[in-house]
Amino acid sequence: MKPKVLVLKADGTNRDYEMSYAFNVAGGNPKIVHVNELRNGSEKMSDYQILALPGGFAYGDDIVSGKILAIELTSFLGQEMRKFIDRKDTAIIGVCNGFQVLVRTGLLPFRKIGEMDVTLTNNDSGHFECRWIKLKVNGKNNSKFLQGIDGIMWLPIAHGEGKFLTDQKTLKEIENKNLVAFRYVDDNGSPTQKYPDNPNGSLNAIVGITDETGRILGMMPHPECFIRAEQHPNWRRGTVKVDGLPIFENIVKFAKENKK
Amino acid sequence: MIQKIRVQTIGQPNIKVYRLEGISVKDAKILAEKLLSERINQKYTINQPIARGKVIEIAYKPGVMNPEVVSITKAASDLGIKLISCDSSIEYLSQKVSFNPLTEHIITEEPKTLILKAKPGKTQIISIRNLTDQQLLDLSKDTLFLNLEEMKKVQKYFQKIKRDPSDLELETLAQTWSEHSGHKTFKADLIIDGKEKEPLMTRLKKEALKHDKNIVSAFVDNSGVMDFYDGFGICGKVETHNAPSAIEPYGGAMTGSGGVFRDIAATGKGAKNIASTDVFCFAPLDLSANELPMGCLPPEYLLKRVVAGVRDYGNRMGIPTNNGSVHFHKDFRAKPSVIVGAFGIVPKKYAKKEKPKVEDLIITIGGRTGRDGIHGATFSSGEMTEKTIEVHSSAVQIGNAIEEKRMFDALLEARDQDLIRLVQDCGGGGFSSAIGEIGEELGVLIDLKNAPLKYQGLAPWEIWMSESQERMIVVLEKINLKKFEDICKKYNVEFAVLGKFDGSKKLNVTFEGKVAGDLDMQFLHHGLPKRILIAKKSNRHSGEQSDSRIKKGSWTSQDDRVEQPKTEREWIKVLEKVLAHGNVNSKEPIVRLYDHSVQGTNDLQSYSGTNLDGPNDSPVLRPFLDKKYGMVISHGLNPVLNNIDPYWGSIWAATEALSNFVAVGGNYKEACLINNYIWPFPDEQSLWSLDRSVDAVVDFMKTFKIPVISGKDSLSSSYRSKDGKVIKIPPVLCISVLGKIPDAGKTVTADFKRSGSTIVLVGKMDKNLGGSVYYQVLYPERAEQVEGPKVDLKILPKTFDAICKGIQTGKILSSHDVSEGGVIGAIFEMCVGGGMGATIHLGGVTSSHLRGDRMGSSEVEFLFNETAGCFIVEVENESMAKQLFKNVPFRILGKTKEGNKMEIYGNKTSLPLRDKKKLFVVDVNDLKKVWQEPMRRLFP
Repeated sequence: MKPKVLVLKADGTNRDYEMSYAFNVAGGNPKIVHVNELRNGSEKMSDYQILALPGGFAYGDDIVSGKILAIELTSFLGQEMRKFIDRKDTAIIGVCNGFQVLVRTGLLPFRKIGEMDVTLTNNDSGHFECRWIKLKVNGKNNSKFLQGIDGIMWLPIAHGEGKFLTDQKTLKEIENKNLVAFRYVDDNGSPTQKYPDNPNGSLNAIVGITDETGRILGMMPHPECFIRAEQHPNWRRGTVKVDGLPIFENIVKFAKENKK
Repeated sequence: MIQKIRVQTIGQPNIKVYRLEGISVKDAKILAEKLLSERINQKYTINQPIARGKVIEIAYKPGVMNPEVVSITKAASDLGIKLISCDSSIEYLSQKVSFNPLTEHIITEEPKTLILKAKPGKTQIISIRNLTDQQLLDLSKDTLFLNLEEMKKVQKYFQKIKRDPSDLELETLAQTWSEHSGHKTFKADLIIDGKEKEPLMTRLKKEALKHDKNIVSAFVDNSGVMDFYDGFGICGKVETHNAPSAIEPYGGAMTGSGGVFRDIAATGKGAKNIASTDVFCFAPLDLSANELPMGCLPPEYLLKRVVAGVRDYGNRMGIPTNNGSVHFHKDFRAKPSVIVGAFGIVPKKYAKKEKPKVEDLIITIGGRTGRDGIHGATFSSGEMTEKTIEVHSSAVQIGNAIEEKRMFDALLEARDQDLIRLVQDCGGGGFSSAIGEIGEELGVLIDLKNAPLKYQGLAPWEIWMSESQERMIVVLEKINLKKFEDICKKYNVEFAVLGKFDGSKKLNVTFEGKVAGDLDMQFLHHGLPKRILIAKKSNRHSGEQSDSRIKKGSWTSQDDRVEQPKTEREWIKVLEKVLAHGNVNSKEPIVRLYDHSVQGTNDLQSYSGTNLDGPNDSPVLRPFLDKKYGMVISHGLNPVLNNIDPYWGSIWAATEALSNFVAVGGNYKEACLINNYIWPFPDEQSLWSLDRSVDAVVDFMKTFKIPVISGKDSLSSSYRSKDGKVIKIPPVLCISVLGKIPDAGKTVTADFKRSGSTIVLVGKMDKNLGGSVYYQVLYPERAEQVEGPKVDLKILPKTFDAICKGIQTGKILSSHDVSEGGVIGAIFEMCVGGGMGATIHLGGVTSSHLRGDRMGSSEVEFLFNETAGCFIVEVENESMAKQLFKNVPFRILGKTKEGNKMEIYGNKTSLPLRDKKKLFVVDVNDLKKVWQEPMRRLFP
């Protein structure tokens, strides 16, 4: 049985098709569900194993990015959300705008619904940025979603509010608990604060984080847009490693193995 | 009671202000903490200042929709707090604040309420039956933009039916008969240099429809549709948005993008947008302030704001922006050209509109109607003057991309459930244009009272004419209304039934039961007198702006010979100047601001190569991620060459567009064209050059047996100053290509792939250098006096075939077409992408392959030659080149090599340099800095 994936859509979500395609290729069974379908009960989170929050500009990113959808998920849909994360067989991935939503719900990094501990704020450059960047998995993070992924990865970013920011105490806690999933790296593979290798000025070159269970992953770059080699601008220059797909394969594998 | 919350982000000087009406301080605190501020990097206050010192607060003007209001209200409601009304604005600590007075204002007094109240306006009757000719002209001037003949036709109609028109009727006629909507020039009978000629539109259509192999629908819908694979069609539409962009570039660019996306969404029963393109023409960025005509904005400001508008709208829509260009010419100082294109995909069964039936419902969907944008269609048809900014401020609108995005989501779902008869865009001319058009055959009955309004107080004619963004018209059978309603609800999209088709063959518009308009469709759509226009060739067809220039033809062939640089340093200096020129330099900093990766479809991206900074010719998109076939988009234009000779300039533009398609691996037979004419107001001279341009496009279609399937004209690119002096912008023909390719994997990028490969020039090159960037930077006063390159149309199809075949078979490793910046510019860009150098030998290049070669042609004329339809390609070795190109002109130029040196060797007879044959050796990375710097400075 292919694990069911709820690809959540709200007004302004725009990477839902790619997300759906990625899960399809990875062996999942995705469905794009509008948040209003959850609100009116015609769709239920409890019917799904994986929740995917795609990129875009949910509700126009009004106030700040992902805010309005985060409030919707923690207030109107708060109970359903709570039940979903309390199950041991569920997984959540938030990419770009989805990551912004996850930190604003409080699900990342500490699974505290309604309490925000980290933020994703305006890029240091002050503007939207679309380019391919290099990143590396933090080997100390034990999330099943990251297993078997090593070396320098290439993924595209496309965002204006991707700077990972928090206070020193929280940052320390995140580092100590090894919640950092990936870091932006330079040509040598070392974490970097230098633009444009670090495209937004994220603290400690943080690209994405997980929660302590490793079942919730949030990241700024778009793995769902690197599912086949031809999506990389340089696939004609030689062999290209398809860096986005393994993340989805890992999530699907986890869901299959933990299916109750 | 209004609670005022201020939020400041640490390290940022500006303060966000929220006014929330109808809640307690306690609730305000909840919203401040949970919704409006984040403790990690922000602080807030309630009803007291947050910063010391004087602030200036800028807010949207009352009545301008603030997109945040809906979101705040929704989130507050999710948190259990009900707002009566709210608004947001920004406080600036700086005393120097720039804002847009057309849409924003400084708040000097605390508002008592945020709710706008007003009584609806009434329909006025305008007496015209007894007006004199002069009075008719006075009535038309500045609002209706109709000429005397047209005004008299209107007068006669109302004399005949024995009543005076309402304001709504008069406005409807002016809009329908405007150049923008009526294309009067393109439909006019012509007398060119004393000879009768068929209308421009007729000639274009006639030729196009001869080549209908790939046509699904052409010239009849909001975009042209071409056959694709697996029962799908692909469609394209290109629009200009010059007039609004000239006075408010950010909003203008946004509404330009929004409008052209709606054209795709309103193709047939609805297509899905999958790509957009942006082409801009401005005055050079270093234009001195005193050269700027009154009422015109400086080019640097225009460029930055237009880019920002495209960025903010396209990115939010989730439509990748992946093709475009920027061009500079001094005469764009009076009015920029902002050209936006959108491309889509549609199942062929939904690619055409169905004919409406009596009792079918007419529905408005999407945004609400406000006063914004009234007179946009008539305004864009007029010349620009120093008064333009003041009189037409209402033509500027604010875009709300999310409104459009959710509307498209809903429409596509409704289409796939087969609920829709047709979709129509509500763009220029608002309801008047959209409903007037679809109602032509049957007649309609509309009650404007049903239209959802942004605020009260609009008169019926204002609702009818409003060009508020993000609205569309949907026609469906009554029986489908419930299902349609459910879909709209799911996507948070508002809609309303405005009326129905009634079979009356009339345009019946009412407001609360009272008649606001009652026009015969026959008169509205066919009453416009057909024009007969006269055009004559003049010595200097490009206009009166060429003050200091010398008459064309006064340079003898001796004069247009160019001098060779004498030293290596001189060579490098010239090359640097060419590469830094606005038409050639790297636009990467702009491209990076646009989301070009969304939808994940692009198999050939704008930039590739070792540092991902080598530019490519066209994107190759795979609309379905799991299918191999692809769609290619490209374009070409050359305003300078059009100034020199509208025919050959237009041939160049079309050739460049098609070459860009072929350069990545496209087969020209699988392409369709879109033509956009941005011309000065068509006086006798300009109409003559427009006629020549259309001739060129027709000849081009004939040559390649491919059709134009869509197009648009914008014939108002003139500026008239107070003293009557006219500036005409250079005539622009922008040709876009929409092509298909069976296997997106069999395509190439421009970056050199290997060292030691052979570099080949393929195609017939013309000797002429007029209009080239080389001329523009070295001999600006002569640049438009010498003839430009003439493309050899006999040889070109063969060249295209050879390139396409070479790529399809994998023999061509990289390919780049020759355009602005010339042969050397193309080789340089390929070196940048490849992260390598090249050795080029020009020995003997001047002898055999230049058209009309003559004694004394020099290396410089070869290296900076910009003949479109020529290609620089990389192949494994010389024998491969000989095999691939045996039927077409080609020349082996040299080899790629490791490192980053570009070495150029010349004729044996070259000037006595130290190394006899060496012209120059230059570091590619040094050139790259020069080439990248200008746009990096502007877009850091």
